Amino acid sequence: MEALQVEIESLKSPHLAVHTVFFGGGTPSLLPPSAVAQILETIARCFHLLPDAEITLEANPGTVTLESLRALRAAGVNRLSLGMQSAQAEELHLLEREHSFLDVIHAVEWARRAGFTLLNLDLIYGLPSQSLERWQSNLEWALRLQPEHLSLYALSIEHGTPFSRWVGRGLMPAPDDDLAAAMLEWSAERLEQAGYAQYEISNWARDLPPSPPLESPRYACRHNLQYWLMQPYLGFGAGAHGYAGGYRYANVLRIRTYIERLRAARQRPFPLSPAAVHIHRQTLEDEMEEFMMLGLRLTRQGVSLETFHQRFGREAREIYGKSISRLCQDGLLEILEEEKRLRLTRRGRLLGNRVFREFLL
Amino acid sequence: MSRHIRNFCIIAHVDHGKSTLADRLLQMTGTISEREMVEQVLDSMELEREKGVTIKASAVRMEYTASDGQRYELNLIDTPGHVDFGYEVSRALAACEGAILVVDATQGIEAQTLANLYQAIEADLEIIPVINKIDLPSARPDEVAEDISSLLGTPKEQILRISAKEGTNVEAVLEAIVQRIPPPRGDPEAPLRALIFDSHYDAYKGVVAYVRVKEGRILPGDTLRMMSTQAEWKPVEIGIFAPDMRPVAQLEAGEVGYIATGLKTVRDCRVGDTITSAARPAAEPLPGYRHPKPMVFAGIYPVDAEDYPDLRDALEKLQLNDASLVFEPETSQALGFGFRAGFLGLFHMEIVQERLEREYNLDVLFTAPSVEYEVLLRDGRTLRVDSPAELPDEAQIVEIREPWMLIEIITPTEFYGAIMDLVTKRRGIFKGQEYPSPHRVQLKFEIPLSEILVDFFDELKSRTRGYASLDYQFLEYRPDELQKLEILVNGEPVDALAAIVHRKDAYHKGQALISKLKDLIPRQLFDVAIQAAAGGRIISRANVKALRKDVLAKCYGGDVTRKKKLLEKQKRGKRRLKMVGNVEIPQEAFMAVLRLEE
Ligand SMILES: Nc1nc2c(ncn2[C@@H]2O[C@H](COP(=O)(O)OP(=O)(O)OP(=O)(O)O)[C@@H](O)[C@H]2O)c(=O)[nH]1
Ligand SMILES: [Mg+2]
Repeated sequence: MEALQVEIESLKSPHLAVHTVFFGGGTPSLLPPSAVAQILETIARCFHLLPDAEITLEANPGTVTLESLRALRAAGVNRLSLGMQSAQAEELHLLEREHSFLDVIHAVEWARRAGFTLLNLDLIYGLPSQSLERWQSNLEWALRLQPEHLSLYALSIEHGTPFSRWVGRGLMPAPDDDLAAAMLEWSAERLEQAGYAQYEISNWARDLPPSPPLESPRYACRHNLQYWLMQPYLGFGAGAHGYAGGYRYANVLRIRTYIERLRAARQRPFPLSPAAVHIHRQTLEDEMEEFMMLGLRLTRQGVSLETFHQRFGREAREIYGKSISRLCQDGLLEILEEEKRLRLTRRGRLLGNRVFREFLL
Repeated sequence: MSRHIRNFCIIAHVDHGKSTLADRLLQMTGTISEREMVEQVLDSMELEREKGVTIKASAVRMEYTASDGQRYELNLIDTPGHVDFGYEVSRALAACEGAILVVDATQGIEAQTLANLYQAIEADLEIIPVINKIDLPSARPDEVAEDISSLLGTPKEQILRISAKEGTNVEAVLEAIVQRIPPPRGDPEAPLRALIFDSHYDAYKGVVAYVRVKEGRILPGDTLRMMSTQAEWKPVEIGIFAPDMRPVAQLEAGEVGYIATGLKTVRDCRVGDTITSAARPAAEPLPGYRHPKPMVFAGIYPVDAEDYPDLRDALEKLQLNDASLVFEPETSQALGFGFRAGFLGLFHMEIVQERLEREYNLDVLFTAPSVEYEVLLRDGRTLRVDSPAELPDEAQIVEIREPWMLIEIITPTEFYGAIMDLVTKRRGIFKGQEYPSPHRVQLKFEIPLSEILVDFFDELKSRTRGYASLDYQFLEYRPDELQKLEILVNGEPVDALAAIVHRKDAYHKGQALISKLKDLIPRQLFDVAIQAAAGGRIISRANVKALRKDVLAKCYGGDVTRKKKLLEKQKRGKRRLKMVGNVEIPQEAFMAVLRLEE
């Protein structure tokens, strides 16, 4: 905690407007609410924290109480993201989650009582042996909790995880991508019907009253939009990432080293805190590639080619003309010409990698 | 002077220890210091080191003071033992007066022991048999000595028993070289005649010709002449291998060395040609070599069409190191511009592929290897077809003839039955048996080359627990019921996937091939139909369903760099795919026809 405060202080810039704060990665809900309050105070002291800032905290359903949620709300947290994952005990067990669906119901109810009007639920689909029906019932349970926001993630079996070892040894069926595709397609329809708008490959937000067709919905996570729109953000804490001042950087992962580095507290030019270890100076190519591959994740607003031009001084067509035409031909991309926007088609949303990689230079 | 020269090569079956013996000889003569010594030091090519196999013969000069107190110049040529490279051996033999025949004490006489021995006898060389690896517990030196003795007539006691690895008795090998191998004859005052027995390409010195000077001498300032083309040039440098290239003031009759020619292409400096001097040319060239006949043919295509000129350059350079590689331009409807290349065998082909990829950093695609067919047409013409795609329409064909081989398998007698079974299953015909030595039987068969191209050798090894060995030579062309098996992708025949098969195999192979291709062709953005056709009928079909989902679920602030790397990797993977029409097909698909049994 102390090191974290030091780190925030080290980048103190009172005129820098802060629109969003996000407590995430690991289980921030294990922090006592007083600590969260303290961090927010430090932030308010060091930066210009806007009065209507979105302040999110990620929480595991089993780790919150009505009291803790009240305290968090009082400290200024106004958005809560709950890792529900599934409504089935068996699946939660497989994912090594400690909580039950009952915990999720409680957490949602307490959050409402504590005054949270922005709630997100994270769900995972495409688990080994998960049937379409199973998944459908998971989503239905989530909908009954009436969150403002939903994140649906396909399980990805990453190299080196226990899942990948089990699948490799034949102890578990490999996830079926076709089935996952069917789940996602069904979900997209169901959620639209329920009044949610998809605005990113894995994210939906309540869209009542409906927002304009080429804008992200009102309840979209403003913080995450920041990432996808390639706007700057600062990362604080061990393992945190940041993107600002032409750098992408990451802090040391090991907490011990993190603390030591902040004790030694060597001043560095903004935005690099003493804990930053992986520091990458962005090239123009990096910026253009990432602008496209991140921006195209936004399934509703897509990327604005005008913004591209303003930002890089060149037309996207000049650089990516061939790829854009081919991807449009293949039915993965669409141009909304009058709006000067480029966006994934419905099919393209499921085949995003095929699109994104074409924008790497 | 030449009284004190000995030119010899080391020959053996694969892995019997030629290169290891060469190591010891280099060490004992002080040609290589302890510090420079590595195992099989003459196997300097990266691939040779990795595979532990000699691919290319290499020459080296050593100085040795024998027990008679005299100093001798020993020119050694280490040769490869793999059956595909018999041609390298034959060229080395022409540069020598003697050969050390190495026989592994645990394996005994094997197929290339015999094949290489017969070549050496034919070249009239003095042969020094040596039994190697006597340090191994499973060594049977007495038995092997008996076998060699009955083969060569050398008294058993005279056969040296050594361990090349440990250095045991290697001194005796050096003495035998000096005492038993005759010094080269050849008049240093006669007009120059030097035989090119190998070459390599050097970026600065051009083609470096490895020569054995038979008569006359070469001085650095001489203008030289190729006897076949009459082309004249001045050498950039002359020298010897010690084992690195070292310039010398002259090379004279009896010596082995190199001439850096400064020439840029293989056509100007052919292996087997004779070099003479422009000032006093010889009347007759030396007898050259029979150029090896390529056994298998395959298309080589750049994965990226833009690399075509680089591929051509690379093949030309490779040919300078590998005189047995032949190629000519070819165009495929499916694959675009490429080359049709001929190889001595599949191992040779594999080596060429790896060298193109590593030494020339090219992404290349090889089509399935094929033998060369003779096709008799209704109009009386005979076509030679080494690419299945070029087989004319069935209606025009009277008959298709394929190459048959005479194969010799040497094996301990207990595996007789297993071998019979293997060979007859592949259309082979038993021709007879011999007992080259008391403990071995040599079986002779006739068999179509296409049947032994793939897997045959591996099968043979596995059925005989590694004891059998194989040698083969071309016999003749014979007609059989052969037909084209075609593969259609989305309705279009893909020439590079066609194969020529026996009529009775067509159905089975067509089905097996389609199920293989179904697994190998990655899912695309649309459905891909694949079909096999033979004799005008579709015999098998399958569908590669369109890809539905390929997207990273999460990409937040901390993920960008990692996710980008992942996409970059995907993108690189895509480069290894070849666009055929609008379908992406991986390299392995073009080889699928070879491995239908698995
Ligand atoms: N134990 C033992 N191993 C040996 C001896 N000589 C060679 N070997 C081993 O046998 C293997 C083959 O040796 P090489 O010298 O590469 O054989 P080669 O005949 O040159 O093989 P190719 O060039 O591929 O035909 C290596 O693993 C050597 O270490 C020996 O005297 N004793
Ligand atoms: Mg060797």
